[in-house]
Amino acid sequence: MECNRYEQEKMELNELFLLDCSELRENLSCDFTGVALQQQIGIDVNWPFVCGNRNEKYKHLLVRYGKGIAGKVIASGSPMTINSFPENILGKTTDYPIMIAEKLISAYAVPLFWEGKPKGALLIGYRSKHNFTTEEINTVRDGAKKVEALLPSYFCSN
Amino acid sequence: MELKAFKYASNYIIQSQEEEIKRIALELHEGISQNLYSLSTGMEFLQSAMEDPALKQYANEMTELMKRTIQEVRLLSVELYPTTIDTLGLISAIKSYIKLFTSSFGIVVDLQTTGREMEISEGKSLAIFRSCQEALINIAKYADTSDAKLTILWGLNTLTIHIEDEGKGFELEEENSRNSFKGIAAMKQRMTNVGGECMLHSEIGRGTKVTLQLPVQD
Ligand SMILES: Nc1ncnc2c1ncn2[C@@H]1O[C@H](COP(=O)(O)OP(=O)(O)O)[C@@H](O)[C@H]1O
Ligand SMILES: [Mg+2]
Repeated sequence: MECNRYEQEKMELNELFLLDCSELRENLSCDFTGVALQQQIGIDVNWPFVCGNRNEKYKHLLVRYGKGIAGKVIASGSPMTINSFPENILGKTTDYPIMIAEKLISAYAVPLFWEGKPKGALLIGYRSKHNFTTEEINTVRDGAKKVEALLPSYFCSN
Repeated sequence: MELKAFKYASNYIIQSQEEEIKRIALELHEGISQNLYSLSTGMEFLQSAMEDPALKQYANEMTELMKRTIQEVRLLSVELYPTTIDTLGLISAIKSYIKLFTSSFGIVVDLQTTGREMEISEGKSLAIFRSCQEALINIAKYADTSDAKLTILWGLNTLTIHIEDEGKGFELEEENSRNSFKGIAAMKQRMTNVGGECMLHSEIGRGTKVTLQLPVQD
């Protein structure tokens, strides 16, 4: 595969990720959407693209493998729901950095696959209690497909 | 219970708990981590000798999972116990904890040190370290701010540490009466146990300042 990319294209790619985030946030009227993604080089996972954030904390966060909502979704390759944080969670509240940083009370996250492996997560969140409907879940899954379509370019550009 | 007996008991409980945590952290850091590292190197070697692309890909995935596991074990050990506190000292332990703290909570800590670092016993270093940890996590949980400041002042006879935020602040009296002061109480107890002090100041809308003080000698 051709892997040469110019700065211009990289910026456009970033905008496409952000566009998907904001579109999803509008469609669902949720408070926050974010993409957690493994970096192009190395194994670290962080939050390169978010929308509806209330501060810049997300920029410093490292998603830990198997911990928190994004870490669990990536490690297991399956979706996860939190309805009323911090009630009934697995582990300590401090294992859920994005929930704390963004003051989220409920969230739903799905894995993002690239070449058959979970490389990231798409998360939507509310700053209030929320029960996710089948329709909302389907909307997020469609959103994840759109984000996944960008991953070949993301992992080839560096 | 008599006050003296109580102090003795609480000291003992803290100490034996710390020893147990240290044992686990060292086991993770030196035993398990080292083994995983050897496995990962061996895996890469095997992978380089493989010719079947499907097998190579599979080995690659295993190497990646191994690397993640090594990273997670390392972070877990930093989180549990500052294993280098007695070799590299308090400041170095605080520095590596701050790195983990920022990547866990997204809060940037401005660390400032003045004076020359002195050697202090592991018990004293640990009391300071645990108190800093508690104060920083409280900031992450309650202060609703993106920045914190940690100042370390090595005086002639005293070590003073301030952990400050300009966040929400809280009503000391109110929290006290609700008896919801467990973390802060433990912090005070730890500092008293090693002959130091822990003071707290907070104002709604302006922030919180925790001050730790410990007598030290050159
Ligand atoms: N830096 C801070 N900013 C705002 N509130 C704080 C801060 N530190 C402590 N508090 C308040 O003091 C209470 C008691 O803290 P603590 O004794 O550490 O218990 P815990 O962390 O287990 O709730 C907290 O619940 C919180 O309301
Ligand atoms: Mg606390």
